[in-house]
Amino acid sequence: MNSIASRFASTSASAAISRDEEENQVAASMWGSTGGFGNLGQVGIPSFEIPRVPDPTNFLRMHTDDRNDPSCRIKIQHGTTTLAFRFQGGIIVAVDSRATAGSYIASGTVKKVIEINKYLLGTMAGGAADCQYWETYLGIQCRLHELRNRERISVAAASKYLSNLVYGYKGMGLSMGTMIAGWDKTGPALFYVDSDGQRLKGDLFSVGSGSTFAYGVLDAGYRWDLSEEEAQELGRRAIYAAGHRDAFSGNTVNLYHVKEDGWKFIGNYDVTTLHYEGPGNVPGAVPGGYGYDVRTEGLHSRGAATVA
Amino acid sequence: MSIMSYNGGSVVAMVGKNCVAIASDLRLGSQALTVATDFQKIFPVTDRIFLGLPGLATDVLTLKERFRFRVNMYTIKEEREIEPETFAHLVSSTLYERRFGPYFVEPVIAGLGKDNKPFIAATDLIGCLTLPKDFAVSGTASDKMFGVAEGLWEPDLEPEDLFETISQTLMNAVDRDAYSGWGAIVHVITPDKVITRTLKSRMD
Amino acid sequence: MSPSAQAPIRHDFNPYTENGGTILAIAGADFAVIAGDTRQSEGYNIQTRYAPKVFRLTDKAVLAVNGFAADGNMFVKKVKQRLEWYRHAHAKDMPLHAIARLIQTMLYAKRFFPYYVYNILGGIEEDGTGAVYSFDPVGSYEREACRAAGAAQSLVQPFLDNQIYFKNQQAAPGSPHPAHLPLNQVLALVTDSFTSATERHIEVGDGLEIYIVLAKGRNSNELESLKGVAEVTTASEAIATGERLFVLRRELKKD
Repeated sequence: MNSIASRFASTSASAAISRDEEENQVAASMWGSTGGFGNLGQVGIPSFEIPRVPDPTNFLRMHTDDRNDPSCRIKIQHGTTTLAFRFQGGIIVAVDSRATAGSYIASGTVKKVIEINKYLLGTMAGGAADCQYWETYLGIQCRLHELRNRERISVAAASKYLSNLVYGYKGMGLSMGTMIAGWDKTGPALFYVDSDGQRLKGDLFSVGSGSTFAYGVLDAGYRWDLSEEEAQELGRRAIYAAGHRDAFSGNTVNLYHVKEDGWKFIGNYDVTTLHYEGPGNVPGAVPGGYGYDVRTEGLHSRGAATVA
Repeated sequence: MSIMSYNGGSVVAMVGKNCVAIASDLRLGSQALTVATDFQKIFPVTDRIFLGLPGLATDVLTLKERFRFRVNMYTIKEEREIEPETFAHLVSSTLYERRFGPYFVEPVIAGLGKDNKPFIAATDLIGCLTLPKDFAVSGTASDKMFGVAEGLWEPDLEPEDLFETISQTLMNAVDRDAYSGWGAIVHVITPDKVITRTLKSRMD
Repeated sequence: MSPSAQAPIRHDFNPYTENGGTILAIAGADFAVIAGDTRQSEGYNIQTRYAPKVFRLTDKAVLAVNGFAADGNMFVKKVKQRLEWYRHAHAKDMPLHAIARLIQTMLYAKRFFPYYVYNILGGIEEDGTGAVYSFDPVGSYEREACRAAGAAQSLVQPFLDNQIYFKNQQAAPGSPHPAHLPLNQVLALVTDSFTSATERHIEVGDGLEIYIVLAKGRNSNELESLKGVAEVTTASEAIATGERLFVLRRELKKD
């Protein structure tokens, strides 16, 4: 009885989720006469089909949560290291590029920085599709804000829009841990937003399975008055550290720098190249590889001469 | 989470023309955390036999010593070196002794027998022997290694070509496995020498 | 206790199963190859030896679908429907990158009741280059040069990393690795990948279906010498002007 009652007394997920046959409603946009997001309904909010079971959330968890049940069929990709920090010269955003499904490395070329618009970046940790979809959707809403108000949206507003949006789906299984970085009237701004509904303003964040390793490097090297080159090097070095030590992070580093005139893509660096050779001829970088064995060749106990 | 993939690691062995090769990665992890990148899981048994032990690291170290003891006892009693076939059965029966509380290790054996006949073998964690004529794989990247080896391996490879084939098989397989990698080592056993090389591989 | 007083027995709603098989797509400079085996299985049983997993969407777009066959077939049906509507509205075929975005939104629309399917979309981009897009079941996607999915993806993908991307191979001085391989080499690698997967995976085998999309104006010389190739381009005038689509069928071991 309770399960039946709760179907009609739903307290969670107020966002436009209905049990109607959504699929049979053909919106004009589906005919291709209004381009863009295919399932944007008449009201402009995407609608989702829900399984007709007493507890749809449990249904989804049963089939998709590989941390609860490694043998579950639908493997949603997890594992990541992302970081962003504010400093004198703007914001550095750095991420790895690995996607894993169980122990299988499904991809080493994932774009975990989502370019929302010229001034806004979002990072991707948790469910790849959740981040990709909702941050693209956020981009649409930011553009609409611009058209309506003849003014760019503030980073605070954009991140709050996203936060409120995912809060509407709380408890339904969305999984995102994202940082929204950008430059607005107030200068460089950085927010952490996750699918629990948490939203934090801050100077330095790292998200994902490799975040502890990245924080280790970041905390040791972070200062507000870092030069631009030093800051970029710190971001690169921190993601490398996570890539090296965390099994679920690695492959390549993508580095972005947010400045007053918008974000700039600095470069893509292979973690193994960083280990053996370093980032190459890049301002701010010490010559040589980042790898411990590489830096200390002949200096550590194994390489030292043994005393007879 | 499976105890077999708690520490991670992979081993592959291949047959060539009058030679065999065995290779492994060098990672020792604690689930997602990479603890060491110089963890050997292939051990010499005689001058012509190598044993690869991917699996739970504590059992790797225990079994390595147990096999050293048993092979030494065999050598003393029989007053001769153990043959690869015999050693494979020693591995099998040692593991089956613990049928209901097994060592979490799936060994791979590679060696040259009488008349330099190539020999490779693999067993599961309770000692079920398989004797492939081409290659044997084991560890967290075993499915990946099966795929690459099936595409790259061919019969009667000379030592240098066998080295290239086994190296490429191992490296490309572990690069798709989160729990293996961080360096690799290859041994090619030929009638007159063992060629051992460490590979420069991905470190993530 | 009378039956009516008993608490109702709750059965878990499990609408999914896994039907095995493997799909694969590789992008060339001016072509794309999309392949899949034709075995459909459930557990240790083979349901059929011929169930296509690769489908023509337009003359320049091919979709391979792997996972739960019922979801896959329904999904392809719905994508085709949306593409037809697009044709009615715009009097042209939807560009490949737009189909990729469409597939993302269609998959994400079922975020809370997912299609249990892994999609790989291959074809020719508007700029004439070969392209491959791969998707997870809920719509995250990425453009790539090569991707394997399905039961034997972990067997095939590392082989392809080695042979297509030349991973762990050092180029000889003065002759760097090519960015794209020629069509005949790609076809050979696809066939090798599937024979290897058939050898080592019980859910792969029976038949192999390879779709080949050629960019506008590209010659089809390599295909003419091959046995078992059929042209399946639909637009009749496309033979001379548009992209061209071919299917190549091969047998795989049936044990």
